[in-house]
Amino acid sequence: MSPGLPRRAFLRGLGGVAGAAGLTALAACSDAAPAGPPAPGATPGPTPSTTTTTAPTYSGEAALVALGAAVSGLAGDLLGQAAGGAGQGRYGVVPGAVSAFLSGAAAQHVAHAEAWNRVLVAAGRPAVDGTPLTVEPALRARLGAALAPVDLLGLAADVTSTVAATVTAMTDQLTGASAVSLAAGIGPVAAMHGATAGFLLGRPPTAPADPTAGALGPDALTV
Amino acid sequence: MTAPAPADVPILQTASSLVVLTTTTYRSLQALPFGGGANAPGPVRDLIAAALEELGRARTDLADATRAAGGRVQNGSNPRYAPVVAQALPTVRGPGDVVGLALTLEDVLAQTLVRDVVDLTSPDVRRTVAGHAAAAARRKALLLTLGALLSTGRSDLVAAPPDLGALPPSAGTVGFPDVLFPTEKASPSAEGAL
Repeated sequence: MSPGLPRRAFLRGLGGVAGAAGLTALAACSDAAPAGPPAPGATPGPTPSTTTTTAPTYSGEAALVALGAAVSGLAGDLLGQAAGGAGQGRYGVVPGAVSAFLSGAAAQHVAHAEAWNRVLVAAGRPAVDGTPLTVEPALRARLGAALAPVDLLGLAADVTSTVAATVTAMTDQLTGASAVSLAAGIGPVAAMHGATAGFLLGRPPTAPADPTAGALGPDALTV
Repeated sequence: MTAPAPADVPILQTASSLVVLTTTTYRSLQALPFGGGANAPGPVRDLIAAALEELGRARTDLADATRAAGGRVQNGSNPRYAPVVAQALPTVRGPGDVVGLALTLEDVLAQTLVRDVVDLTSPDVRRTVAGHAAAAARRKALLLTLGALLSTGRSDLVAAPPDLGALPPSAGTVGFPDVLFPTEKASPSAEGAL
């Protein structure tokens, strides 16, 4: 965000998270264009290796926004699946407050993922497809091993904590107004999910001393 | 690390004024038998104790940032809401009132900090404030939940751990009413400036 941006711009940012005002920085982080052919007479370079590497889909600020989309999407998917399984009786008798929590929090995380993706698309970058994160297999395995409502709440507390920490940790790196506004509005909501899960588990009401502990970085993206 | 800019000073002073007021209010509530005393529900008592610890960290961080930006540290209470608290405190009669008054202040504080994240020019301070916004939001979620349960008249529902089977389904969602954290109640940056 540009210094001195009026406070009302924040409200616009939340209402239309893909507003053009904040996308300049994000667009500037697009992958660089391929290099042109060598100049005539130039010394030939080494023979290209036959091993090819795939360039990351996202770089710079776009990678941060993609990380936001992926981690919110993963939280939404895991909690949504937990709610679905609870409805099917997979975890025994699940209290109504637990089912409502899982469904309600899942819906908000899905909405967050969609909002992050709108910022990407408005900047000319592809929306994040799925939940491409290094932590995904372990978290899905943990959901698969869940046996009771308390397991679902424990998973939810940890996942929402990761989302809140990740979004909080990126606030000093984002520069686009839309992305900053989105991070400012999403991080606290993810923290509220964590607080509710903690209450249902009977945990102490203490916030983490380091609010970015456990945050994922762009290197957690697998695309 | 980027030094905070002078333009950030009034933002930080206003946030400090809200933290100071919220802290002194929690101390007053903690002194009540049904706030922090023996008659208080455990989760209410624990929340007040945790809030005081977290707000102490927020006050220190905001003061450090204010000094780094070349400003004077705001140690006074927010001038807009201090009279509101002074009027409300004598009317607090039970845990529900304790939660209600705390919620009023925490909501304003959290909304202000969320908007400050957008307005601050220093990336480092922005991240610090974002952390405190998340902590205030956590407390707001718990206060919303506790307030809803206390309003049912069944104090047995406010326990740690709670009896999950006895909780109304709404207890699972009342703590996070908005998809994006609102800011319409955020204090203007000049409100608590020196």
